[in-house]
Amino acid sequence: MGTSLKTDGSSRKNVLASSCIFMGLGHIIYLKQYLKGAFFALLEIIVLAVSPKLANMIKDMIEIGRWWGRIPGDPNSVPISPAYFRLIDGLIALVIVILFILMYIASVKSALSAYTEFCLDGRCKSNKESLHGIAGKAFPIVGLSPALILVIFFVIIPLVFSMLVGFTNWSSPNHLTPGAPVNWVGISNYISMFGGDSTWTSAFGSVAIWTLIWGVLATATCYFGGMILAVILYETKLKIAPVFRAILILPYAIPSILTVKVWQNMLNGSQGTINKTLMELGIISENINWLTDETLVRVVCILVNLWVGAPYFMLLITGQMTAISDDVFEAATIDGANKFQVFKSITLPLVLYQTVPLVIMSFTHNINNFGAIYFLTGGGPNTLASTETGAGATDLLVTWIYKLTIDRQYYANASVLAMLIFVVLAPFAIWNFRQTKSFKEGEL
Amino acid sequence: MRGTTKSKIVQVMFVLFLTIASLVVLYPIVYVISTAFSPLNTATQASIMPFSDGFSLKQFDKLINETNFIYWFENTLIVAAATTLCTVIVCSLSAYIFSRFRFAFRKSMMMAMLVLQIFPSFVGMQALYVIADRIGAHDQLWGLVLIYAAGNIPYNTWLMKSYVDTVPKALDEAARIDGANHFTIFFRVVMPILRPMIIFLAITSFTGPWMDYIYPKLLLGTPTKYTLGTGLITFIDGTRIQFTTFAAGAVTVAIPFVILFVLSQKAMVTGLGGAAVKE
Repeated sequence: MGTSLKTDGSSRKNVLASSCIFMGLGHIIYLKQYLKGAFFALLEIIVLAVSPKLANMIKDMIEIGRWWGRIPGDPNSVPISPAYFRLIDGLIALVIVILFILMYIASVKSALSAYTEFCLDGRCKSNKESLHGIAGKAFPIVGLSPALILVIFFVIIPLVFSMLVGFTNWSSPNHLTPGAPVNWVGISNYISMFGGDSTWTSAFGSVAIWTLIWGVLATATCYFGGMILAVILYETKLKIAPVFRAILILPYAIPSILTVKVWQNMLNGSQGTINKTLMELGIISENINWLTDETLVRVVCILVNLWVGAPYFMLLITGQMTAISDDVFEAATIDGANKFQVFKSITLPLVLYQTVPLVIMSFTHNINNFGAIYFLTGGGPNTLASTETGAGATDLLVTWIYKLTIDRQYYANASVLAMLIFVVLAPFAIWNFRQTKSFKEGEL
Repeated sequence: MRGTTKSKIVQVMFVLFLTIASLVVLYPIVYVISTAFSPLNTATQASIMPFSDGFSLKQFDKLINETNFIYWFENTLIVAAATTLCTVIVCSLSAYIFSRFRFAFRKSMMMAMLVLQIFPSFVGMQALYVIADRIGAHDQLWGLVLIYAAGNIPYNTWLMKSYVDTVPKALDEAARIDGANHFTIFFRVVMPILRPMIIFLAITSFTGPWMDYIYPKLLLGTPTKYTLGTGLITFIDGTRIQFTTFAAGAVTVAIPFVILFVLSQKAMVTGLGGAAVKE
């Protein structure tokens, strides 16, 4: 078997086979791209060298069920790393294997495309050309690698980890101390959350319903509140309009963690300045429990969120309205439309159309709006279910997850809820994806 | 004549509405400023009229000399600046590559980014804690920077990519024909064109760490290593409520924020407009 190539495409099989046998082999023996081939080969050699270690890490992840810490009753035994370390290490090993497989596929593809070029040109690329090509082709990989590494380690692995924990019994109080086993328990956490355990199921039900109501109301109030402000500011011809605009934008400019905390202090039932003021003005005779009454606190949450969130939409809608071409308005005025008609038939539809994606995004943001709830009420006030599950009257799924993880260390149940958030948000992710220009233009 | 009277009434009602809205917006802000300059020790004794208890800089003195506020401010500044730098460079470079190059798995990567940006990254916080522990980032500010930058990448890369798509290819192609290498083209030719969007990205990623509570709380153990969000909340959480000190801190943080905002308002509007899907 010679190493020369035919230009009629009949050597394709040889290139394919050699590339598949060992990474970079096709590049070296057929395509004379020694540098590139050597790089691929080196990669495979490295991965092969560490493969026993990788296999062990993955095996440890699967066999998580053994004790961790020292063997019970044997103080001289070598401590086994905690379950969560094994889980993370196994995941990292898995990611390395997947990346390697992808690189392998890419190397085969690259060999085939190089062969196709060879068939067209009838000769191998000169060394100089090939080097230039490598520099050019390596740029996307080199340039993207920081983003890829960061996203893989700090976004993807944590998400997968969090999903996996939901299938274990890693949770307070019985499975946290050294010596206590952590096991894969299948879907039993899911079963107890969604029907098997009445306390958890009812707590989950009320949190989920409130999360949805909150998402819709918080978004709608902010959007329309912002729109009213934007339109009125736009239509006010007075010279002090910019002053109003500057004031109204303030809640957006100040970090919300601060303003929400200030609201919390002002709304305090016994010492808050709002109750004191209303009292001294003689409007109320006893303190209103803004933050401890189960129904009222929900209204308060939405109103405080309106205060925080409306300026964002005000800014956005103002931007959209000024972006509408003056020609449109002129044409409408010439046709005899009055201001209200212009607003109803031109401004409103255009603004609505342009802001739909942002409304959807704002909805998903509100569903996950940790700060608006946690800093105002801490998820409270407590309900009957709070003692066992920790879920308060205003807890969203995210604040509940936070409390389960940090305060109670019920990691497994927190993960089940995190999975649920994925499921709830997935349709929005898909919708968002279909909305993009790239998708519409058939690029993706 | 009837038309003008009617429009005058409408204008008056508009102004009335805007006045009420402004008062609602200003109420907590005035309250917190008055508490910050109050000579009292606790906010609970304060009178309901702002500024009626007198004026003193006692709270600021206490904030700077008796608390870790200066450390927190410094930490936050470092984290915010480093996060901004990482986010801007990584996102615009990735966006440029996604927009101009064709390579293996390009589509899959773009789709993955799009799907990832919708999930709140802190649902994986147990894992982040473990990973930080694994790489020695525990109680370190750089660990925080990596987490913030990584969290910013998926959404902002997409945002930036749609912007790069609108920049004519002729510009960077001309530079390529002139023999410039890819990195030179990116930093010398492409980055300057992306300026409006880069400013937007810089502002949003710079302000993020100031407001965050979850990650610093998760990663940082030493009180002098806290960032502002986590630090200020220690004043009002738990048993000893020091709202007056919190108020002084809040005002100190909010003022530079408002100034930054005023300076960047125009860029923000452009960026927010660009965030919408344009046809």
